[in-house]
Amino acid sequence: MTRFANLRLFMAAALSGAAAVALAGCDADEMLTEKPPHIIVADNLLTDLAGFDAALNAQYAQARREKQGHSGLNDLVAIPMTVGVDNAYANYSAAELRFVNQWTNFSTPQTSVFENLWLWLYQMINASNMIINRAENPDIRWTEADKARVLGEAHFFRAWAYRHLTYLFGPVPLNLEESSGSTIKTDWERTPVADIRKQMEADLLLAEENLPATSSNAGKLTKAVAQHYLAELYLAMNDPVKAEAKAQAVVSSGLYKLITARYGVRATQPGVPFMDQFVDGNINRNQGNTEVLWAFQFAQDVTGGGSNLLRRYWVNRYNSIPVPVGTRTVTGAIAISAEYGGRGIGRLSPTAWAINLYEPSDDRGSHHAIRKFYTVNNPINGAVLGDTVKLVWTAEKWITSSLASNDPLWPSTRKWDWTDATSPERDEQFSDVPYLRYAETLLLLAEAQMKNGKLAEAAATINQLRDRAHATPITAAQVTLDFILDERSRELLTEEHRRYTLLRTGKFYERTMAYNPIAARYLAQRDTIYPIPQVVIDANLGRAMPQNPGF
Amino acid sequence: MSITAFSASRRTSHPHSPSMSGILSRLRALALLAGLLSLPGTALHAQQQPTVRGTVLNDASGEPVVSANVVVRGTNIGTVTNERGEFTLRVNALTDTIQVTRIGYSAQSIALAGRATIEVRMRAAATLLNEIVVVGYGTQKRSDITGAVASVSADRLEGRPNTSPVQALAGAVPGVSVTTTGAGAEQSLNVLIRGRNSISASTAPLYVIDGIPFNGTLSEINPNDIESIEVLKDASSVAIYGARGSNGVVLITTRKGTGRPRVNYRAYYGIQELAQKPRVMTGPEFAEFKCQRVNGGQNCESAFTATELANLEAGRYVDWFDLALRQGHQQQHDLSFSGGNDDTKYMISGGLLRVSGIALNDEFERGSVRLNVDQRLKSWLSIGTSTQLSQTDRGGMPASFETAFWSNPLANAYDAQGNLTISPWAEDLQYANPLQGLRVTDDDVSRRVFSSNYLNVTVPKIPGLSYRFNGGLDIASRERGTFYGRDTRVGSEVRGRATIENSGRFDWTAENILRYTKTVAAKHTFDLTTLYSAQSRSLDTRTLRAEGFPNDVMTYHQANIAALNVPGYDVSESKLVSQMGRLNYNYDDRYLLTTTVRRDGSSVFGANHKYGIFPSVAVAWNITNEPFWKVSSVNVLKTRLSYGSTGNQAISPYQTLAGLDDYSYVDGNGQTAPGYRPTSLGNPDLRWETTNSVNLGVDFGLLADRISGSFELYRSRTRDLLLRRTISPTHGITGITQNIGKTANKGIELGLSTLNLDRGNFTWRTDFNISANRNEIVDLYGDGQDDVASEWFIGRPIDVTYGYRMDGIWQEGDDIANSAQPSAKPGDVKVFDRNGDGQITPDDRMILGSMQPKFIAGMTNTVRWRGWEASAFLHTVQGIEQSNGLLGVNLAQTGVRRNILLREYWTPENRLNTYPANREGTNPFNAVFLEDRSFVRLKDISLAYTLPTSVANRMGFQNLKVYANGRNLWTSTKWTGLDPEIAGSSSSERFAPLEKTYMLGLDVRF
Repeated sequence: MTRFANLRLFMAAALSGAAAVALAGCDADEMLTEKPPHIIVADNLLTDLAGFDAALNAQYAQARREKQGHSGLNDLVAIPMTVGVDNAYANYSAAELRFVNQWTNFSTPQTSVFENLWLWLYQMINASNMIINRAENPDIRWTEADKARVLGEAHFFRAWAYRHLTYLFGPVPLNLEESSGSTIKTDWERTPVADIRKQMEADLLLAEENLPATSSNAGKLTKAVAQHYLAELYLAMNDPVKAEAKAQAVVSSGLYKLITARYGVRATQPGVPFMDQFVDGNINRNQGNTEVLWAFQFAQDVTGGGSNLLRRYWVNRYNSIPVPVGTRTVTGAIAISAEYGGRGIGRLSPTAWAINLYEPSDDRGSHHAIRKFYTVNNPINGAVLGDTVKLVWTAEKWITSSLASNDPLWPSTRKWDWTDATSPERDEQFSDVPYLRYAETLLLLAEAQMKNGKLAEAAATINQLRDRAHATPITAAQVTLDFILDERSRELLTEEHRRYTLLRTGKFYERTMAYNPIAARYLAQRDTIYPIPQVVIDANLGRAMPQNPGF
Repeated sequence: MSITAFSASRRTSHPHSPSMSGILSRLRALALLAGLLSLPGTALHAQQQPTVRGTVLNDASGEPVVSANVVVRGTNIGTVTNERGEFTLRVNALTDTIQVTRIGYSAQSIALAGRATIEVRMRAAATLLNEIVVVGYGTQKRSDITGAVASVSADRLEGRPNTSPVQALAGAVPGVSVTTTGAGAEQSLNVLIRGRNSISASTAPLYVIDGIPFNGTLSEINPNDIESIEVLKDASSVAIYGARGSNGVVLITTRKGTGRPRVNYRAYYGIQELAQKPRVMTGPEFAEFKCQRVNGGQNCESAFTATELANLEAGRYVDWFDLALRQGHQQQHDLSFSGGNDDTKYMISGGLLRVSGIALNDEFERGSVRLNVDQRLKSWLSIGTSTQLSQTDRGGMPASFETAFWSNPLANAYDAQGNLTISPWAEDLQYANPLQGLRVTDDDVSRRVFSSNYLNVTVPKIPGLSYRFNGGLDIASRERGTFYGRDTRVGSEVRGRATIENSGRFDWTAENILRYTKTVAAKHTFDLTTLYSAQSRSLDTRTLRAEGFPNDVMTYHQANIAALNVPGYDVSESKLVSQMGRLNYNYDDRYLLTTTVRRDGSSVFGANHKYGIFPSVAVAWNITNEPFWKVSSVNVLKTRLSYGSTGNQAISPYQTLAGLDDYSYVDGNGQTAPGYRPTSLGNPDLRWETTNSVNLGVDFGLLADRISGSFELYRSRTRDLLLRRTISPTHGITGITQNIGKTANKGIELGLSTLNLDRGNFTWRTDFNISANRNEIVDLYGDGQDDVASEWFIGRPIDVTYGYRMDGIWQEGDDIANSAQPSAKPGDVKVFDRNGDGQITPDDRMILGSMQPKFIAGMTNTVRWRGWEASAFLHTVQGIEQSNGLLGVNLAQTGVRRNILLREYWTPENRLNTYPANREGTNPFNAVFLEDRSFVRLKDISLAYTLPTSVANRMGFQNLKVYANGRNLWTSTKWTGLDPEIAGSSSSERFAPLEKTYMLGLDVRF
């Protein structure tokens, strides 16, 4: 027996490999079964409420991405829906956003931004489909109320994604199934927009029914958000009666009111009530904001905290402003600072038309809202502390400058000012973003009222905004579609999906040609819709997918 | 103690303890091991076996032949001659035949015919057919091989500045293509054997070091410890590696000790220089370019930022390359002790490699210790190990060649105080200083134990039966910590960023091999090998990213107090269980047959497709061994034919499972709201990729081997491709791995060695190889349709250059308004309207070129005169056409933020037809700037001098050699990118090119 034991020891010691096979128990089938300890799959996540909430949290993060980059710091997702319109253009226009200035040259099926948008939105649709599909599993441990709320949110996000898709690309495939490895489709068909809107209506109505009126968790969807989008959808479907009813439901809930008095973290500093709701710390409902319907949440140094690009894109490169000193100029005398909103790179700017749209008394056009001058804060090379440099925003300036205007002397909005106090030059921005405001609901209401012939009510609705901003009230006779579009620009500059609004009202081409001289050089009728990304056409091997006309 | 005793005691004393019986039942589960244990339990008596003594001498000089293999024919009984050429061998009977082989000599067979003392005289022969080569699970005489096996000649391994053994393969073996994917102190290399079978799965060959598969980075293996490298190419020779064989197999064998104790010191020292400095624009050139691009050449002042203007006025320009680059150094020192006798052989070596690359701070250091020991414990039992312990230090963040390439020459490298700037360009803070790496703390150390061990039992009483156990272990760690402090761009933004990445590998291999050889009726030799093996690979990676540090003092060692800590965890584990059988049959050294079957089970595949079976068969005919062969000028002629199937399982684990990625949000209180979203689709039906291939080979030797070589023809078809196919993003997912599609490869290879001159002390040899491979996609999704989204086209090679074809430049006077590009301006790129429909649409895209070479070749010429040896190695790759990423029209970016190559532009006066005007948007369709990437390169040129033995001996050395080598000294190419040998995407064009190396070396033995 000793010899026997010796042999075993010898084998184990000298031949550790043999020992591993022989002694670890070598059941080949067992050995060949994969058991990854670090991978979560739908089957083991979507078994209880916490799992479904985790899937929904990712949907919130996905929606939030609209104010982030597709792949980092340099391709703000929101550009194709907010810029290249009557009230905004690309100032420092890097390659990825040149198409909003030079439409015919750079808006092509190969432009990567369209592929990125397509994937972003269908990722959201697929995730919603997964949640909706699996919520019917009878083994899930949850209450009916939990399930209803989960389904409400999931249906909302699906409709939200199709809203983007239909405005961006027109008819797109209506995908209502969870994707799986065994059901790869190569014969997608483009569904007419009207059919997609029927589905959006159903999804949003289900969301309206199941979402709570309020939530203690800032950033979560509430009933009013679904009603707001329903109002907009009914306007797009040319059903102003239903639109008015849905917008009115938000108003009648009594939960929301415009900010008319100073509040929050900067209440004692110079400013106007209108701008308080854009200050980090004031943005959420529990921070005193009675006007916000939906705010995207961001946080610094927290997993899942994310960061947005709004300041980076909308604040101009004031640190490049040449300050006149004698016969020469000095750059750097206006240094990056928290006072000036942190570091911007001026990718996007309001058009001259948009800046000039305000009467002098209008808070929304005041220097608290739009920066029109800078003062020297870094007196180097002879620059004098406190010297003022006025910005210049004439349309003529465009005509003489090249297409890539790259103009640091152009005004910018202050809605997105934010900086990391310890690092003002930092790329990222961690402030929360007010995404949907009651003010916009009122503007939808006014539009519906106008279409329903209730001009006096429409004027009254609009005047709530104008009163708050100290602009002159209007009369019923002044209520026109163009006025409402102007008012939307005044109120929602850089916020709303301006392109969608103009497309919905049939005014995109006309107004962009009229008010955006840079885009007007290249804009064509075909550009009222973006091209279907080439990869979508190329991968549809089983059926030809028609491209939008003109591409 | 013996195996038989063990087996006998099992029978008599079993069972004694439950654990023992449990172990035994598990042991029995191993078919082959169980087979071994149930061998007849007859007690072993020391039997009277006659002993044969002999001496092996060089036929010409009469000097002893050291380390010759002496084997009883038809058995595994054998030994090796000592330093006096002597051997002692116990044979079965004095009627046995003794076979003596030695690399460089013709094999000899001597029938003992009753003699107990013999003298064997061996004739030196450089014949390919007589060398002993390593094949899968054993060695074979070249003349017995039925498949396509190529050996890397020793001169590719010795005295060359190779940091990785892979570098020795470039141009050395027909059918093997080596491309560099990244230059620098440690280069990254891709090896492709006989073209690309697979589209999405890995195309890397299987590396086997001393019998054990190696899954790590080969630059962690000391090339100077290597005795030989063999490349297995055809189905017959790789089929015994079954599911891992279809990309070819590279067998690496490390040195063994023999003969009298020997100390060997080898060292070289070399300097490296940038082979070709890219001609980017100087400050004034950049200014002129920028003014033209931004302002059309007018009002130049307004085109510049203040920093640029100030530097322009002061005449201060930065040559970023001068700052970022240096003269590199490379040195290696190896000290080895080796020796051996009949029972014990040892080789202990220590090696140190240090490379300081041409980019500042680019360092690579490897220290390794190797212990190779073979010990005969009993006449029937031997064990051995070949083990390397190594430490590789990749620490240090190099100056960025890429950033140096594009950085603005009108920016500031240093501030007023003489410190490196964080952002050289005050108005464009996006860009970090190319020298930023010098300020980054970067510790990156890998440690590895790679150990191959065996136990060999020559089963007594059954002549020709042996059992071998191979146990392999690869235990490796990599620990990396990086810290960007406040004096770097990213660190200044986030108050310091630390990343820590620690990974641990544990791979093991256990193989049980039973071998039986028998010669029947003198002329029939059978050699049967069976295998049962299991392999496991696992890699755990733990990462941490931390940001927001109170200070920079403790670098990445204070992540515990950072504001943000993001840990990560990844694991990758795969297993393989295999059985294999191989039968070699040899009739009278004339007719040879090899058949193999291997069955593999792999964990990475779907539940219903775990196992695959890979058979092969090969035959060969040694024509010159026929009695009728009378053509004396042809001394070797052998034909070989093989057919078989091999697999590819080279996909990452867990692809049969759908996965969710974490994608978290924050709640209204700033707390993490954990989130998961679907990102990949599962495919439970994933299975092997299978390649069937046929190989026809001819080995020849003419004029007493003055001319020798091999010629191969092959054809292969791969089906069930593991294809990462692009799917419509409408799924919310962009791709999935499926078994779809077929590819085909066919090719032709020639290896030729000629002794051109042989005049006494003067010889001139040429070793030449050339190979051509044609690759084709046969089918994709079964419907005969191309996959344009993935740029895969049926009937075309896998790697093509696809896009819009440039058709010249629009000139003034052209009828642009009525062309397919009505909005073009003179000076814009003209795009070829392929379908002639009068507009440019995606349908006008076309295949423009192939990225697979038409042929590759290598040629070494070696001239020897007395102690002198000079050699030159030329390497060429021909016929690659691809887009040159350095010619893109928007590389300078909008507003000219980056520097680019100096070049000529179209102007109304200079009516180029090759390159557009200097302005924005001249190439809206991204038409491709196609170039020929063929090259001829003088890869190595060397001169060596070996002291005459008598002189060396008088100085106390056994041998003393000094040499000089130059690498990459001359290149001929039309490619205007950085380096034609660096493959890959257009972005890699801005990374460091291969460097020139000049080195001096010493090899001394005593």
